[in-house]
Amino acid sequence: MKLSVMQENLARGLAVVSRAVSTRSTLPVLANVLLRTEDAGLKLTATNLEIGITVWVPGKIDVDGSTTVPAKLLSDIVSSLGGSERVELEVQAPDTLLLRAGRFTAHLRGIDADEFPAIPTAGERPTTRISQKVLRRALSETAFAAASDEARPILTGVLVHFEGDRVTLAAADNYRIAVKTIPVLDAVEDTRLVIPARSLTELVRILGDTDDPVDVVLAPARNQVLFHLEGIDLVSRLIDGQFPNYQQVLPESHTTRAVLEREELLKALRPAAFIASNAANIVKLQIGGNGEAEVTVSANAEIGDYEGGVEAALEGDGTTIAFNARYLSDVLQYVDAEQFALELNGPLSPGVFKPVGDDQYVHVVMPVRTTS
Amino acid sequence: MIPLVMGASAKTILHVDLDAFFAAVEQRDRPELRGRPVVVGGGGPHDRGVVSAASYEARRFGVRSAMPLRTAAALCPDAVFLPVDGSKYLSVSREVMAILRRYTPQIEPISIDEAFLDVTGSIALFGDGERIGREIKAAIGDELALTASVGVATTKLVAKIASELRKPDGLVVVPPGDEAAFLAPLPISRLWGVGGQTAAALSEYGVATIGDLARLAPDLLVRRFGKHGAALVDRARGIDGDAVSGEAAAKSVGHEHTFDVDTSDTEMIERTLLAMAEGVAGRLRAAGLRAATVSVKIRDSQFRTLTRQRTLNEPTDMTEPIWQAALELARPEVRGMRVRLLGVTASNFGEPGQMGLFGGVDLRRRRAVEAADRLRRRYGDRAVIRARLLGTGLPAPFERDPTTAPERRVGRPDPEATANPLERRATKGGTNQVDGAPNDA
Repeated sequence: MKLSVMQENLARGLAVVSRAVSTRSTLPVLANVLLRTEDAGLKLTATNLEIGITVWVPGKIDVDGSTTVPAKLLSDIVSSLGGSERVELEVQAPDTLLLRAGRFTAHLRGIDADEFPAIPTAGERPTTRISQKVLRRALSETAFAAASDEARPILTGVLVHFEGDRVTLAAADNYRIAVKTIPVLDAVEDTRLVIPARSLTELVRILGDTDDPVDVVLAPARNQVLFHLEGIDLVSRLIDGQFPNYQQVLPESHTTRAVLEREELLKALRPAAFIASNAANIVKLQIGGNGEAEVTVSANAEIGDYEGGVEAALEGDGTTIAFNARYLSDVLQYVDAEQFALELNGPLSPGVFKPVGDDQYVHVVMPVRTTS
Repeated sequence: MIPLVMGASAKTILHVDLDAFFAAVEQRDRPELRGRPVVVGGGGPHDRGVVSAASYEARRFGVRSAMPLRTAAALCPDAVFLPVDGSKYLSVSREVMAILRRYTPQIEPISIDEAFLDVTGSIALFGDGERIGREIKAAIGDELALTASVGVATTKLVAKIASELRKPDGLVVVPPGDEAAFLAPLPISRLWGVGGQTAAALSEYGVATIGDLARLAPDLLVRRFGKHGAALVDRARGIDGDAVSGEAAAKSVGHEHTFDVDTSDTEMIERTLLAMAEGVAGRLRAAGLRAATVSVKIRDSQFRTLTRQRTLNEPTDMTEPIWQAALELARPEVRGMRVRLLGVTASNFGEPGQMGLFGGVDLRRRRAVEAADRLRRRYGDRAVIRARLLGTGLPAPFERDPTTAPERRVGRPDPEATANPLERRATKGGTNQVDGAPNDA
C-alpha cells in the first residue's frame, strides 16, 4: 500500500472513526484503525464490535493494500501535523506504516489487516431514507432517556419501529420514556429493531443539519442496521429481545394540564435541584391549588428548602407531584420547544411532558412517592 | 477501662417489653381465647414452623418461643394454635411505640414488642423513672388492653434484665448505685453476650451467677476471652455505656461472619458475601428501606481490618446489587489473603419512592423475593435458601425477627469480641447473643 492524502481530510476521517475505537478490549486489533485502499481512495474503519464506522478519504493511490495501526497514535500524530500538508502513507513489511509529511517521518507498528473484523458497508439498496435533520433531532430528543446501566440490556437501546411511511423511536429507562414519530421517505413494512443508544448517539454526531437524507439499510437477519451518508458508513449491532410494550404506559387522558414556558420552568428548577441533591434528588411540583395560575417548584432537605413559582396556563384540578429533578431537567434540556404542556393524573400517576406545537413527541416521567 | 461515674450524671433508662405480645393481641381481640393456652406461630399444630409466641397459660405447659410447633402441640394438646398475623401485630406495635413517644423522643425500638427509652430529660416533666414506667404500663393497659413489663435502671443492660425479672405485668426499678447488687444473684445466662458456650467456659471458673463473674479478676477473663472478657466483667458490674440511640440512628443494616478457620478460598468468600448480602437485603425489605451504599469489612488472619464502600446507582433492597457491589469491593482486597472475618453493610437509605414504568423482569423477581420472604416468616429462615448456599453451613442469612427494626448494632458491642474462639462458634451457629434469641413475644 502506498498513497498520499491531504492532512485535513485524513485528520477529519480519523476523528470520525475514532469514536468507534474500542478502548478496552481483549482484542488488540480493535484499538487499531484499518486503512485500506478502495475505489481510488483510502478507507478508514474502526469498530468496537457494537458499532463500526467507515470513512472514505479522497487520495492518490500508487499501490493498493491495507494495514491496521493504533488509532489513537495515528490520530494524535496526524492532527499534530500542519493543515494543508500532503501526507504519504506506505506499508513497509511487515505491518509497519511509514508516514511522511514534509520533513517529518514516522514509523508505526501495526497488526495485519486480516486480523481486523469484517465490517459491512452499504453496498445494498437502502431500505429507506430519512432527512438527516429530522432524524438527528428525533434521536437527540429520545436517546438520552435510554438506560445507562446494564440491569436490563434491552433498555440500553432505542426501539426503532418502522410502520409504512413513519418510524417511531422510543427510549426508556424504567423511570421515564421518550417517544417520537417522524416520517421516512420510502415506505417500510412493519419492522421493529432495538438499536443501542450509544450507537445512535454516535450517529447524531455524524448527521448533518441538512434535509439531505441518510440511507438506512435494515439487516435484521444479520442482526445489524447500517446508516450511509456521503463518505461515511455507520453499522451497529442490534439488541436482542423484546422492548417493553411502551404504548400501555402512555397515559391517554389527564385531569390536570399546565402549559409553561420551558425557560421559566428550567430557571425555577435549577435552584430546586441544588437543594434536592441533598434529599434523594426529589423536587415537588404544585400545580394551581391556591387559585393562582402558577406552578410551584419546591425542594426540601435538611440543609434548607426552596420554592420557586412559574406562571402557567392551567386546566383541570390542582394537584401536587414529586419527581427526580434530573428527569425533569433532562426532558427540558434535550427537547427543543418554547413551551411545554404538563399533563397529570394526580400525585401517583405518570407525568406527561409534551412540547407545545409538536404532537409527535411525548415524554413520560414516573413520579416519586413521598411521605408528606 | 474507667468505670462510669454514677450519681448526678446517671441516666434513667426504661426497657418496655410487652408480655406474650402476639398471643396477648389475639386474646384481646378474641375474648373466647382469654384464659386459654394460645400458641402463635407458623400455620398450625402440624406445621413445621416454630412457636413465635405462647400465652402465659400455654407457658405453664412448658411451651416456649422458638420451640417447634409440633413439640408445643405435644406439650399442650389443648392449646389454640394460630398463624402469625404480622400486619396486625405491626399496627398494634406502632400504637405501643406512639404511647412510648409521649414520654421521650429518645426511643430505640429493638423489636416489634420492646424498646428502650432514655427518659433522663423527661423527668422534670413527668416525674422519675418509676412514675413514667407506671404511666406507660397504665396507658398500654387502658388504651390497648395489653400488659407490658418495665425495667428502670441507669443502663440499657440493667433495665432489660430488670424488665424480664417479673414478667408478666412487672415493674422493676434498680436505683442508681444498686446495679451490681441487683445483678449479683442472677444466673450468668441473663447477661448479654453470654450464650451457652461462654456460660460453659465460665463454669470452669466456678461462675454460676452474675455476682460470681463480677468477682473474677478482669485479667483472668481477658486472658481467657480477650477484650470480650473485659466487657463481660464490666457488664457483670452493671457498667454499660451504650446509649439509647434514637430511631433516626438506624443508619445501616449489616451482617458479619467470622470463619471457623481463616480462608483464602474464593468460592467460600464469595458464598459468604452472598449469604450476608441476602440477609442484609432481607432486613432492608422487612424494614421497608432501600440502601444506596454498600460497604464490606475484611479482616485478615493478622487482625488487620479494612473497609471499602461504594454507592450504587439507585437505592436497593435486593440481594443481587448488594452482592455484586460487595464482590467488586472485596475481590481486589482478598487476593492472596487469609480472611478471618467478612462483613457486609448497607447504608445511606434512600427515599424508596421512585415509581417504575415497567414491571417486567424486575417486578417478577421482586414477587419471587417477596414470596420467599413470606415463606421464611412463616416457616423459618431456612425455609428458602439460595441454591448456591445449600449445604454450606453458612450462617442463616436472616437471623432475626423480620419485623425487627433495622440493626443499629453493626460492629457493636465490641468489635474485637470475635477474637474469642467461643464467640466465633456462637456466631457461626447463627445466634446473636447480644440480640438475644427470639424474645418472648
